[in-house]
Amino acid sequence: MTQRATLPMLLAISICLVGFSTLIFVQEATSPPLIYGAYYAGTLFGLYLAVRVLLPNSDVLILPIVTMLTGVGLVMIFRLTYDVEGVEGLAITQAVWILVGSAALFLTVLFFRDYERLFGYKYLFAFLAMVLICLTFTPLGYEVNGARLWVALGPVSFQPSEFARIALIIFFAGYLAEVRDLLAATSRTFMGIQFPNLKYFGPVALVWAASLALLVFEKDLGSSLLFFVVPLLMLYAATGRVAYVLAGFLMFAVGSTIAYFVFGHVRVRVVAWLDPWRDPDGMGFQILQSIFNVADGGLTGTGLGAGFAQTIPEVQTDFIFSAIASELGLLGASALLLTFLVFVYRGIKIAMVARDAASKLLAFGLTAMFAIQTITIVGGVIRAIPLTGVTLPFVSYGGSSVVGNFIIAGLLLVISEKSGQNERRVGSEEGNS
Amino acid sequence: MNRHLRRTFYLFALGFVALVAVLAYWQVYARESLANNPENSLQTRRALEAPRGTIFAANGETVLARSEEQPSETGGNSTYSRVYPEGPLYAGIVGYWSTRYGATGIEIAENANLSGTADPSTLDELINQVSGGPQPGNNVTLTINDELQRAAYNAVASSETGRGSIVAMDPQTGEILALVSYPSYDPNNIDEVFDELINDPAEPLLNRATQGLYPPGSVFKVVTAAAALKDGVRPTDMFTDTGVFERPGYTVVNYDDGVYGAVNFARALELSINTIFAQVTVDEIGAELLYETAGDFGYGSSYEDFVLPVTPSQLGQGDIAQLAFGQDSNVSNVFEMAQVAATIANGGTAMEPHLIREVRSPDGVIIDRTQPQVREEVLDEQLADTLQDMMVGVVDEGSANLAQRSVEIAGKTGTAETPSGDPHSWFIASAPADEPQIAVAAMIENGGDGEAAGLPAAMAVIDTYLDLDGNAQPQMEDQLQQDLPTDPQGIPQGLEENFPQQLPQDLPPEIQQSFEQFFQQGGAG
Repeated sequence: MTQRATLPMLLAISICLVGFSTLIFVQEATSPPLIYGAYYAGTLFGLYLAVRVLLPNSDVLILPIVTMLTGVGLVMIFRLTYDVEGVEGLAITQAVWILVGSAALFLTVLFFRDYERLFGYKYLFAFLAMVLICLTFTPLGYEVNGARLWVALGPVSFQPSEFARIALIIFFAGYLAEVRDLLAATSRTFMGIQFPNLKYFGPVALVWAASLALLVFEKDLGSSLLFFVVPLLMLYAATGRVAYVLAGFLMFAVGSTIAYFVFGHVRVRVVAWLDPWRDPDGMGFQILQSIFNVADGGLTGTGLGAGFAQTIPEVQTDFIFSAIASELGLLGASALLLTFLVFVYRGIKIAMVARDAASKLLAFGLTAMFAIQTITIVGGVIRAIPLTGVTLPFVSYGGSSVVGNFIIAGLLLVISEKSGQNERRVGSEEGNS
Repeated sequence: MNRHLRRTFYLFALGFVALVAVLAYWQVYARESLANNPENSLQTRRALEAPRGTIFAANGETVLARSEEQPSETGGNSTYSRVYPEGPLYAGIVGYWSTRYGATGIEIAENANLSGTADPSTLDELINQVSGGPQPGNNVTLTINDELQRAAYNAVASSETGRGSIVAMDPQTGEILALVSYPSYDPNNIDEVFDELINDPAEPLLNRATQGLYPPGSVFKVVTAAAALKDGVRPTDMFTDTGVFERPGYTVVNYDDGVYGAVNFARALELSINTIFAQVTVDEIGAELLYETAGDFGYGSSYEDFVLPVTPSQLGQGDIAQLAFGQDSNVSNVFEMAQVAATIANGGTAMEPHLIREVRSPDGVIIDRTQPQVREEVLDEQLADTLQDMMVGVVDEGSANLAQRSVEIAGKTGTAETPSGDPHSWFIASAPADEPQIAVAAMIENGGDGEAAGLPAAMAVIDTYLDLDGNAQPQMEDQLQQDLPTDPQGIPQGLEENFPQQLPQDLPPEIQQSFEQFFQQGGAG
């Protein structure tokens, strides 16, 4: 049976169009918001129709969620940058990136319907991930705000780590599906502690080492965290051994403590988190402005366009959630978080009904990354945890992030298509007999 | 594997729930305190869009802060800037309002009223708030008597060290009549000079009246005396001073090594004899009653209902013989000592101190008026009167004879020794002593003896008050009369009719006519 999500899709589009229309009144921007709105609605509805045709059995509820998040992000980026000196063009750029992302999703569902083929090239993906990360250390890489995350290839610059993450998860899914039984079984015991077989555990340790390298050389706390925790969770999902998680967190705690004492940029983040009042005009400035804006929103928000989130430096990227919390209030921000949670729920659901271990692990890994990234950045900007510079998926301004997340959504769609076909076949066979 | 997947989903869901909880904490629970944080400039930015209310002195005429419209250069909406016509004179009370550095004083404490974001109280306000249009703020009138404020300010400014504070209040109502901290600053150009001010060693941004803690020295003896009277010590009880008081663990000598011989308790206060107060405290009162009495007077209290932040006075832990005459870890602020003088002057009843007289909507309707409230019954009236008489003795027969006037004054000097240079010079007083209308505390940092700097500063305020006393009271009566708006015929209107019957300016003529008809009919009926 073909799954339909036209109604949720239209709902998501309508909500965002209301947002765009509101901006006409509050920002005295007469036509641009409607142009953006029409463009956005057309792109994503077209994408929805294409996916309906290409993957009739997929979990199409993924798309209304993506539409909702992308739309809210675009409304907010437009609102925060319209007529603001220095950033006027960002909304246009973001709109273009949404188009590119949609194309990437389309190509993903077009060419990777048999995504299982990817697992055959898993070592190639591991290699690709390493190459992407190392790219930032070549002369092509450059620093922004003290973190060396960017690579310029001719006129296009991108953040390789956004794509390295996906490659890495493909590798892990394929690899862990193969060796999960071997890892789950204990090979030897030393001083009463059970150790996994090092031969099979090697690649896992290697990736963890790479995440540490990221932390040290790129000063990318966010990617480093994701590179560490996501494989850990995949390891748990594959083997069911809590010991891995505990050992991992122990290592994480030790690593974090060392990083705190050795690296200035880690210390700055932690100090700014623990006591932003100590240096309110310096280290603590950004997080304090964020908290002030969040609090200013109150229960129902100041209303779209009536907040002051421009006081937060770089608000359109890492801190866009503060602007949303400020103008849409606790109710709006919670609704957005719920939307994220529904995406996570669908992702886990797709993993649970997937046919084989590798597909399950792939869907789970992608979802876990999405969830942890969201929790990390939202927790960071509301001072629940130290700030790590990751983007809010689909919402934050940023080309690499938008395209990367559209690819993730595309992969989840193809995985769900496979299990959907399966169910359909089983269902029709039962019907025939 | 599905079991593991489900478990991790619960973990993620838990994470999202935690995020919503933290959001709720900031947006609901901590919202108000963050909005009023001095580092938070969002409120000041918001004020650029709508005129903030005006702040007046008690006479309802002297403007302390107002908003000035500045037409936009680019043709958009006008913005508003804040003007302080009285400059540094009221900076310690009114505070500043800056888009870069946030806000302090009345500006932030009364922000809800001044910015018009308080709950709407008229129909116009309700409509404005719902429609989201720029909302003009309410006007706030303070209890500060402009002439007293000027006298107090000049008194501290012209003192020898030029650093100090004066607080004057009405002991019967708790109204603050003057509150001065000097050196001060000009809030008009706070953005330009903020960095300079914050690095200034004279600390002009510190509100010495409410947030500066100083050893109170001998002015604290009136608190100790109150505790002694409660304990049954009578002013006529005799004590002997040998110039030194010694008990195991305690040794106290008199200021300037004075030796006074046999004196009664009242005389001990008049001459401010440390050894006898140490003796009375150690032998008779005891630590418990001393702490309790100081607490009743307001020690340890941050006066949560007061609009300016107050740093609590503290007796601290330490040598009670020293604490008894205001040394050791005994620290207090000028606001607290004014409260002590006012409480004794008011028959032992401490009134809740307040700075806001009333709040009015932009069209003059009273929204809120502060009523005098009893804060604490500190002393029996009889004991308070006895103590007041002892303080009259201090002025008439003792250390404070420079304060003698045609009316009786009750007072007490304080010479608070401090490790940093000359002692702080204190004086607390109330006048007229038999029916006090004003209580004052003055402190000049490193000003020397109490009678050298603190006394003349406090008396400058009292003299000003006594001079204008004759015409000040009727003026206040006038003020009360004016509270109810009068119609053109001079007939006071009832409260229901206070509602502004003014029409919007730009209505079509036919609608305007029908409105007028409606009102005429209503008036006729």
